[in-house]
Amino acid sequence: MSSFQEALNSGKFVVTAEVGPPKGTGIKTMLHDIELLKGKVDALNVTDNQSAVMRICSLAVCKIVLEHGAEPILQMTCRDRNRIGLQSDLLGASVLGINNVLCMTGDHVLAGDHKGAKPVYDVESVQLLKIVDGLNNGRDMSGNELKGSTGFFQGAVVTPEANPLEPQMGKFAKKVAAGARFFQTQAIYDVDKFREFMAEARKYPVKVLAGFVILKSAGMANFLNNNVPGIRVPQELIDEMKAAGKEKALETGMDIAARHIRRLKEEKICDGVHIMAIGMEDKVPIIMEKAGLL
Amino acid sequence: MIITKKKDRKQLLENVKGYKNFFLLGCSECATLCGTGGQEQLEELKQLLEAEGKAVTGAFVAKTGCQVLGTKVELKQFKEALAKTDCIIVMSCGAGTQSAVELFDDKAVYPSNDSMFLGNMTRLQMFDERCSLCGQCILDKTGGICPVTACPKGILNGPCGGTKDGHCEVSPDIPCAWVRIYDRMKKLNKVEEFKATTLDAKDWSASIKPRKLVAREEKK
Repeated sequence: MSSFQEALNSGKFVVTAEVGPPKGTGIKTMLHDIELLKGKVDALNVTDNQSAVMRICSLAVCKIVLEHGAEPILQMTCRDRNRIGLQSDLLGASVLGINNVLCMTGDHVLAGDHKGAKPVYDVESVQLLKIVDGLNNGRDMSGNELKGSTGFFQGAVVTPEANPLEPQMGKFAKKVAAGARFFQTQAIYDVDKFREFMAEARKYPVKVLAGFVILKSAGMANFLNNNVPGIRVPQELIDEMKAAGKEKALETGMDIAARHIRRLKEEKICDGVHIMAIGMEDKVPIIMEKAGLL
Repeated sequence: MIITKKKDRKQLLENVKGYKNFFLLGCSECATLCGTGGQEQLEELKQLLEAEGKAVTGAFVAKTGCQVLGTKVELKQFKEALAKTDCIIVMSCGAGTQSAVELFDDKAVYPSNDSMFLGNMTRLQMFDERCSLCGQCILDKTGGICPVTACPKGILNGPCGGTKDGHCEVSPDIPCAWVRIYDRMKKLNKVEEFKATTLDAKDWSASIKPRKLVAREEKK
């Protein structure tokens, strides 16, 4: 069993963070971040060509994370590989000792830096979850028997602030039925609203980690509201960021995150949090400390 | 219908610069509705070619340019003109162009259009792609709206996280296919069916090219 799965099963409030593989072979900063976060967080997601920007593959970086003594979660999107490539990489991940996989459809190539690329999407997130379940049970997608099955702890993503929410929740249910055992959510900024989402999610036998993206300024909050699907920063937080002024903006953003995380834990709203620091990995331990998790 | 758009005329003239005598072949079906291969466009191209010092031996709008035998019969009346022609410009879709290639194996055949997609005409000369000709229709399971076509990712089991106020992350001009499907299924009291159905990955072997179909039933 993966140590991430064990942590979730133990009932402790779990924390995951993120490693974004760089574009190019210069991995010094990335290694520094891994060293900084290991032992503090329960697992590290390794993103898969995030935002469709070409970078080092998730699989290779997951192996590096393992070698540095941390627990990786392999993020896998369906954008760049067909069913043969996906299954082959999953088998490869398994023999390398990577035991957690997060299944996603993936941002469209038009979001990234190779806009002329042919998007694959041979399968999508729900079907990928079914594939993982099949590999765990010794069968590939075509029903062929495997010589040795995988033992993945597989998860998926969900957007609690999706608008409209109903079809998103329908898909959430399908992901559970397809085998998802944990969920990491899109960034949330409204704990009360998230509690409503959890009331629905709690009907399913899955672990849920609430997503966090640290606010750096009121401008960033407005940008997220206007440009990023599924993210809604309430006006009172924007006002709080504004009132803090430029000097104290980041500090305030971290305080907000810590305050929300503390509440989620104390009120037992969800099973943990997933902090997407996006270049500010050094702030993750600080937030955890502020939230009383370190 | 097959949606076409005119190739850049400069590029077209560059493509056919080595030829002198042209025959223009349009199509009364899709290309006429698209404004790319009707009588008017044939006349336009004729004038353009003549202004370049080229000769146009004849121009004809075929009834259905992708119907090879029908087009062959229709073109019989242009036997003389075609004999004097060294280049046929086909002003319909890629299928029409290749009908001409089949019928005139000793003549150069050039397309004047780019073939875009199978489309629905929503208003005069406004077209939407709604079917991808995948060879394995799932409209019976998706409220009659095709996610293979209407969703840029072709997702089969519900919206991705990129839906913003009912629109697609790829472009705010694209309504989210799965929000549309969900709304329609809701109207038809089929939400439970949406929730209960997980569509398996498509069998893309149904769309391996080139496809061929013999629909003819042998008479006994």
